[in-house]
Amino acid sequence: MTVTSYVRPGSLPEALDVLDREVESLMVMAGGTTVMPRINEGVAFPRVVMSLRQAGLDGLGVEDDVLRIGATTTLTRLAGQDAIAMLADAARSTGSWTIRNLATVGGNLFTPSPGGDVAVALLALDATVTLASSRGGRTIPLAALSRDAPGDRLAGDELVVELRVPVPRGPTAFEKLGRKRSDSPAVVTVAAAVRLRDGLVSEARLALGAMGPHPVRATQAERALVGSRLDRATIAAAADAAAEGGEPATDAIATGWYRRRMARLVVARVLGRLAAAEVGGRR
Amino acid sequence: MTATIVAFRLGDRDVEVMVRPLATLQSVLREQLGYTATKEGCRQGGCGSCTVLVDGEPMASCLLPVEDVAGHRVATLETLTPPEGLSPIQEAFVDAHAFQCGYCTPGMIAVATALLDRDPVPTDAAIAEALAGNLCRCTGYRPILDAVRLAATRRAGGREDGR
Repeated sequence: MTVTSYVRPGSLPEALDVLDREVESLMVMAGGTTVMPRINEGVAFPRVVMSLRQAGLDGLGVEDDVLRIGATTTLTRLAGQDAIAMLADAARSTGSWTIRNLATVGGNLFTPSPGGDVAVALLALDATVTLASSRGGRTIPLAALSRDAPGDRLAGDELVVELRVPVPRGPTAFEKLGRKRSDSPAVVTVAAAVRLRDGLVSEARLALGAMGPHPVRATQAERALVGSRLDRATIAAAADAAAEGGEPATDAIATGWYRRRMARLVVARVLGRLAAAEVGGRR
Repeated sequence: MTATIVAFRLGDRDVEVMVRPLATLQSVLREQLGYTATKEGCRQGGCGSCTVLVDGEPMASCLLPVEDVAGHRVATLETLTPPEGLSPIQEAFVDAHAFQCGYCTPGMIAVATALLDRDPVPTDAAIAEALAGNLCRCTGYRPILDAVRLAATRRAGGREDGR
């Protein structure tokens, strides 16, 4: 092992200070579920590793109808919250119990496809990401962070400190298709949130995971939804549009061809659940 | 490279180890403390053979720098084994033939212990979900699920056919 120093700052300012000082050969980790495998395998060999576990970034709570999630909140804790059930579903679908006890929400944003299921849910929920650096902080839409490889959107001296998720007012749904029911990377992951007015979709966000190198919004499909009823024809059109987009990889889990086929099915199922929730909600 | 002294609770012992930066709990347990029940498997967090309990929570010890458990309670198969004989979960694993090579067993028993502590009479689905991260290449899993069910039934004082 080539690591010469493992630093565990006890606060955000200390962590940012390490980031400013250690410009070469530093890896930042939270739960360690993606960083440690790379170090164990000798794929990554940083000199300095910084853990954010002690940095006090693990808050979780609702404030003014916004769920605030500290970057190092574990997936086990996220699965246990009941402010946004869809986010709990996404957390539970990720990894195994032993992994969820370590893995963090902030880290999930940087987990390469076909991982990163929580990020897919956060994208559909229109989450924002709060970044901090010793120069100050800024808040950006998660969509901006994940437009390219997530790391590209962060300056070298910035850390993700918090996610803010507006508590959804309309129906939401999350589904992940894996090779087995639990602890499987995704064939495809789908998360959706809509608002309806007089039976018509007034707002739609549909996010897909494993359909490219990072989670994406299916904007064509969203356009097919807005202004329409959530009926079979609309759902079919949106599912077709969603399945055509993206660049799904062929890997050990599935071929790109299969991912497209399944994306159409899972999107249709998720939208069907939204339609059923809407009917149920009006009764 | 600076070595660090880390103190934590291992079962009912206080232990202190001098470790290299980022040494994993898994490697320290085996190589420095001689607690060899905890296995090294994939070193990716994907096989479950290194699972231990930290403050009662199952965690992949291959992904966990030992410095992060300083001041915490760690349980391994050794510490879950009573001074005399076996724990009820271990006995159930023996009775249900829930292992062949045994490599996955310490991790399976750690997770089963954590599960039954939280959910004394788990459904079959809950058992399968809890053990989803623990791979076994020998048994086909059925005997392991049987063992956990058997342990739960015995604890609850019920019939042993698991129904």
